[in-house]
Amino acid sequence: MKIQAYAASTITESIVSFSQFARMHGLNIGIQETETALLAAEKNLLADRNNFKNSLKIIFCTNPEERQIYEKLFSLYWDTNPMDLREEKNKMNVQGMVNKKANRSLVMLGSGKTDEASAEAKNISGANETERLQKTDFSKINGIDAGLLEEIAEKLFKEMAIRLRRRMKESRKEGQINLRRTIRRGIGSGGEMIDLYHRSKKPKKHRLIVLLDVSGSMDKYSFYLLRFVCALRENFRQAEAFVFSTSLIRITKALQHNYLAAVLTAISQKADNWSGGTKIGECLKQFNDLYGKRMLNGLPFVLILSDGLDTGSPEILGQELLKIKRRSKKTIWLNPLKGMKGYEPTARGMKEALPSIDDFRTAHNLESLLALENILKDV
Amino acid sequence: MQVLIIKDPSEIVQALNKFNYVADEEFATALFLLINLQKPLLLEGPPGVGKTEIALALSQLLNTKLIRLQCYEGLDINSAVYEWNYQKQLLGIKLYENSSLSIPEKEKHIFGGDYLLQRPLLQSISSEEKSPVLLIDELDRSDEEFEAFLLELLSAFQISIPEVGTVKAKHKPYVILTSNRTRELSDALKRRCLYYWIDYPDLDKEMTIVKKRLPGIEQNLLTQVVKFAQEFRKRKLSKTPGVSETIDWAESLMALGYRQIDSRAFERTLGTVLKSSEDIQQVKQEGMEAFT
Repeated sequence: MKIQAYAASTITESIVSFSQFARMHGLNIGIQETETALLAAEKNLLADRNNFKNSLKIIFCTNPEERQIYEKLFSLYWDTNPMDLREEKNKMNVQGMVNKKANRSLVMLGSGKTDEASAEAKNISGANETERLQKTDFSKINGIDAGLLEEIAEKLFKEMAIRLRRRMKESRKEGQINLRRTIRRGIGSGGEMIDLYHRSKKPKKHRLIVLLDVSGSMDKYSFYLLRFVCALRENFRQAEAFVFSTSLIRITKALQHNYLAAVLTAISQKADNWSGGTKIGECLKQFNDLYGKRMLNGLPFVLILSDGLDTGSPEILGQELLKIKRRSKKTIWLNPLKGMKGYEPTARGMKEALPSIDDFRTAHNLESLLALENILKDV
Repeated sequence: MQVLIIKDPSEIVQALNKFNYVADEEFATALFLLINLQKPLLLEGPPGVGKTEIALALSQLLNTKLIRLQCYEGLDINSAVYEWNYQKQLLGIKLYENSSLSIPEKEKHIFGGDYLLQRPLLQSISSEEKSPVLLIDELDRSDEEFEAFLLELLSAFQISIPEVGTVKAKHKPYVILTSNRTRELSDALKRRCLYYWIDYPDLDKEMTIVKKRLPGIEQNLLTQVVKFAQEFRKRKLSKTPGVSETIDWAESLMALGYRQIDSRAFERTLGTVLKSSEDIQQVKQEGMEAFT
């Protein structure tokens, strides 16, 4: 492959290798796009440099971010002087790519003190192991139980997802008469419509936005909550997921491939993000500014998973949360601390947030997470 | 009817100018490719920058029909492609009940063209004379299932109706899809389309656009209005005003007889350009001077 225009001998060759070059750098270009580009070149667009550049841009790019990358790639490929090349060659960094080799560090979750914690865990009694674990606070799980709990969690989350899906398919008995079907079925009786068939509105699937706190204080819970988010994703029309502590990271793409390990690695690369201080207000602001306009459309569900222990300004938190509430169908805040006996939302951040929350719930054990099903079903 | 031959994107710029649409060279290139390669064009961008408007301008330019499909959640095949006219079919069955026609003949009759209601997508591929412009507006509002259905139409330009057979386009329509990006469209769809991102215009371009729309506007007022609009966009407002809002604003100022904006006019007419009470409050608090 030629990585510079001057290296190719014909214009066709240079266009083809330019598309390979662009593909190598993350643009989604297939044979079809290349073909279109060549066709476009035939249509009298080559004469003018600007026209040529623009038309390839229109064919190759599929979103505003790619259009920015394209600008760089174009000049790199068509304009670079052969003399400068040797140094420049491998320096191109492409946005959005996770460097696979660089950081394989394992995220250690739930590795805090467990002595007193496990003592309390034993106090929770249940008919069997499974039931006991479901009721145990995530932060009080010891090493042996952790594996077991993970298995149970996965199973239960999966079941919940299926239940939710099934529920959405039922209840189609009322509504307008479906003439199309009625006539079709009436053919059997000579065009006389004996049975009436109805058509009701398809149950509407809502969108879901999840904001997950992964700061130090949430350490023990984040892992299970992330699992939970993964399971939820399946039965919403569109789920967007973010993690935050001091800054906000979008993890939707990573969740789509349903590959938790990769998510964890990706997050741990921003080491300060996982298990550090929390600036909830600032992160929500970041969310509103960057994604708000686009994602808070059509009244989605917003799920915030955080303990509300904030090191940032509580005023901003209140303000930004109100903005979110106004444009969402329901704002649900899950706070693991709420599961503790005698907890009152007195942290300043939490206090500011309360007025803008539709539903304030706990999320300290499996049972409480599964209870969410009932809220999400009548979506 | 004369066929318009366009050799060059810059000709499109000029031609669109005649129809009151201001396009830059890059956008014209996108339209040029749309016309010449017969590939659908996907337009994305914030609301109010003229995504829908271009379809109208293009249909005027090509002197052809504009067929519009507005997408919404729950849009289904029956309202987008075709539907049988059931009432008429029922009447038809009754009318022919005692006739001597055989049953297959009757059936053929009630599933004939007279009983078929053409919805926009079917209309767009059954044109007899020349290619129409098909505008699929706000595609991001429709369901993903519908998007998947569009794939067949956009690549093969054909639609299958079980009772009739496959309808194939005699004249491929020029397809323009628009999206506000409230959700990401599928890659499969994007790959079948050319893509262009329309952004808010800069000061000069916006002035040209407003001037085109409101030829009677005074230069002084024009400059003021557009400058304010550009400033508003720099603020973090909950609803950023688009070009259409700027035009509305200018128009209402003219209707009220203002020749320039003073603080009273500013406050009185703010509602035509800002569409949320917090935004209006915020801007009023800062006062007109903060934006000049």
